[in-house]
Amino acid sequence: MAFTDLIPWKRGTQALAKSSPDNVFAALQREMNSLFDEFWRSWGALPATPRAAFSPSITVDESAKDYRVSAELPGLSEKDIKVELTGNTLMITGEKKEEREEKRGTTVYTERSYGAFARAVPLPGAVDRNKVKAQFKHGVLTVTLPKTAEAKAAHKQITVKAE
Amino acid sequence: MKDLQKQTAKTPATVERTHAWPTFVPAVDIVEHKDAFELHADIPGADPGSINVNFEQGVLTIHAGRAVAAADADTIYAEFEPGEYERSFTVSDQIDAGKIAAHYRNGVLVLTLPKVEAAKPKKIAVTVN
Repeated sequence: MAFTDLIPWKRGTQALAKSSPDNVFAALQREMNSLFDEFWRSWGALPATPRAAFSPSITVDESAKDYRVSAELPGLSEKDIKVELTGNTLMITGEKKEEREEKRGTTVYTERSYGAFARAVPLPGAVDRNKVKAQFKHGVLTVTLPKTAEAKAAHKQITVKAE
Repeated sequence: MKDLQKQTAKTPATVERTHAWPTFVPAVDIVEHKDAFELHADIPGADPGSINVNFEQGVLTIHAGRAVAAADADTIYAEFEPGEYERSFTVSDQIDAGKIAAHYRNGVLVLTLPKVEAAKPKKIAVTVN
């Protein structure tokens, strides 16, 4: 963004005209940077990813009565997890921290990832907001969201008859 | 990124299996302490009764099964699936095999591998005449 973009009375055609050559160079620079990064990465000089941040895997099951959203959260306790329902979107947020015992020693090998995470799960149908239950067991969070009567009524199985 | 977190076992895939569900390699952290190594393995969903830790001829194997999906529901979106966890580690002579301890909490299996007396760091006192 050009500096003039920040001044309200200087915005408009002038800023627009100015911003396009800027963007061309910015795009070129980005392109060059990624080219160099790619080159070094191919030689193993740069790590492929800085260190993968923790993001839980999610599975959604549907039964006739409810939706069940499960998230794999190994190493977390129920206190580290926040579950919210906004509209028809279920939000699971929290942070996976390194345990204190682990920190005291020297890590000689690591594959597990840590950090704050947020996952939003759009629900396919209407749910009864007051009857949502969340349970945490063996590192897996399971949120049970009962369908509303209308949502249940919307589904109808049609019997196929033979002639 | 998902692949990094949970990989399907490569070696057992070539071995004939008698069941249909997949076997996963749990992600592991190894931490060294003064008198022991600590191994943290992520095995979310594993039933405590199904966890097996074996030490045989210098190879430490952890195996765990996970609860099967509910029969009355259909999976409409999946990033993980029911299966087993298995992983083996070669353990050096530095470890006192008889004293290996295992603890399972919140989907994480923690193994404590105490070092043998000879492998522990020792401070040698310097005597001055």
